[in-house]
Amino acid sequence: MSISDPEAKTFQKVMKVEGVSKAFGGIQALAGVSFQIELGHIHAVIGPNGAGKTTLFNIITGAYAPDAGRVVYKEKEIQGRKVHEIVSMGISRTFQNVELFGSLTALENVLVGRHVQTRCGFLAAIARWPWVREEEEAARQKALEILDFVGLKKTEHTKSVDLPFGWQRFLEIARALAAEPQLMLLDEPASGLNAVETQQLGDLLLHIKERGVTILLVEHDMSLTMNISDQILVLHQGMRLAEGSPREIQDNEKVISAYLGKV
Amino acid sequence: MLKRLIFIAVIVLTGQVVSNPYYLQVLTFIGINTLLALGLNMVMGYAGQISLGHAAFYGLGAYTSSLLTIHLNWSPWLALPFTLVFVGLIAFIVALPMLRLSGYYLGMGTLAFGMIVFFIFLQWRSLTGGDSGLIGIPGLTLGPISFEFGAPPFYLVWSAVFLSFVVCERLIDSRIGRALRSLHDSEKASAAMGINTSRLKVQVFVFGGVMAALAGFLYAHLITFISPQTFDFLMSVKIVTMVVIGGMASVWGSLLGAALLTLLPEWLHVFADYEMIIYGLTLVVIMIFLPQGLTRGLLDSYEHFRSRSKNLPKSHES
Repeated sequence: MSISDPEAKTFQKVMKVEGVSKAFGGIQALAGVSFQIELGHIHAVIGPNGAGKTTLFNIITGAYAPDAGRVVYKEKEIQGRKVHEIVSMGISRTFQNVELFGSLTALENVLVGRHVQTRCGFLAAIARWPWVREEEEAARQKALEILDFVGLKKTEHTKSVDLPFGWQRFLEIARALAAEPQLMLLDEPASGLNAVETQQLGDLLLHIKERGVTILLVEHDMSLTMNISDQILVLHQGMRLAEGSPREIQDNEKVISAYLGKV
Repeated sequence: MLKRLIFIAVIVLTGQVVSNPYYLQVLTFIGINTLLALGLNMVMGYAGQISLGHAAFYGLGAYTSSLLTIHLNWSPWLALPFTLVFVGLIAFIVALPMLRLSGYYLGMGTLAFGMIVFFIFLQWRSLTGGDSGLIGIPGLTLGPISFEFGAPPFYLVWSAVFLSFVVCERLIDSRIGRALRSLHDSEKASAAMGINTSRLKVQVFVFGGVMAALAGFLYAHLITFISPQTFDFLMSVKIVTMVVIGGMASVWGSLLGAALLTLLPEWLHVFADYEMIIYGLTLVVIMIFLPQGLTRGLLDSYEHFRSRSKNLPKSHES
């Protein structure tokens, strides 16, 4: 896992989203949304259903290209780039509806996560050069370490489809961590988790943050978001409604009315 | 390692024990079909990309090498690398637009490709001899050994099978193999792991095509006669059946599937008119009772048997 220099942390923006818009047919999913993610922070995006959270997520990960606006990651524009290119730049993600590789074991899932950190290609795999063996062994060690970090060491040889749902969520985070990202995007990681698991998830995310990984968290679970986030962006009908610390958001009139349905 | 030694031992032993030329020929065909099934298994079983035109690469391999040796008087051994590269190139060109498709559409696309190639073999009479095919393809020799009759062709083909096994097993048990299997399970997540999915699909398609071309080369120079019917749509379906019956995503499944589909018609000759009915029924019964294919099915029943005899729950349930 990447451990960035704490000195460099101060006021550095790892990602800048500038005026991003996206429409589907006649529906304006996002209308000129701008915000910045500070290095080493847990930055949450919340909002009622249909607020544009998932669209924003898909634009940052490269699944959609925005109609307008820029997404700048470490001084480089990434909007419209291919998904796999964005991952190799240091941004990894998890999915709202767990997308594990079901027929692969937990360990193999994490190993696939190390794809961008390893080099062996088609011919090298056939030739199986000494460096390929070394790389494989190192990847295995690293993957085991990561499984251990999220608390799933014992499941190493279990097919991911056979794991309980909560563990699948944690395995997905392990897989995303294996890419050694600088920025992790988590799409509703708490959905489907019980209270205890949500608590564990919060602890895990704080541990990941301690290791210097910046997290963008799209989440429905308010207690989790309020407990661990440094900064919260509230979207409403494709627009930025408010942004601030958890305390500021909790006291914000506009947010309260959007959530509770007052005018 | 032990598995490989056993494999070699079985090949050598079989070659020593079996002397009946008919049996040797059937065994040789099992080998050629194993190469075809193994190549397709990489594409279909592991990477999850269906191809209903695999026989086209088999035919292209056979025709390319035959034409080079007949018309240009090339030695077959010189024609071999050229054939593999040429068919690989065709596979690459076909794969670029084709693998943008997926699911049924990819099936339709590859089916059409197989048909086109078949009709080229059939209709380009001046080059391919059309219906009547190509005769007088030079056989293979290596110093004093001639691979025309008896055990030599058997050994040659099974050496190729052995090498392919090693190559495929190495691929599967690597970063690339995991990427292929991840592609099968979820293309979306695969891309989100930084895997260039379109490039990987093209690569594995070319790999499967080259393996089929090798099978085609062996077929052409061992039988010394080829005609379009060997490489038609039914052959493509037969290769798919070998993969499915034997077991998707299983190297040994390719061998089992190829063996069964090669032997079954030979065994069923005694039923004369009813041959095809029984052939079809056999496949249906296997699919009903062993839907995961022979390999998985046999392994599962073995595990079931073992756990019952020990009176313990299955390992993955404990």
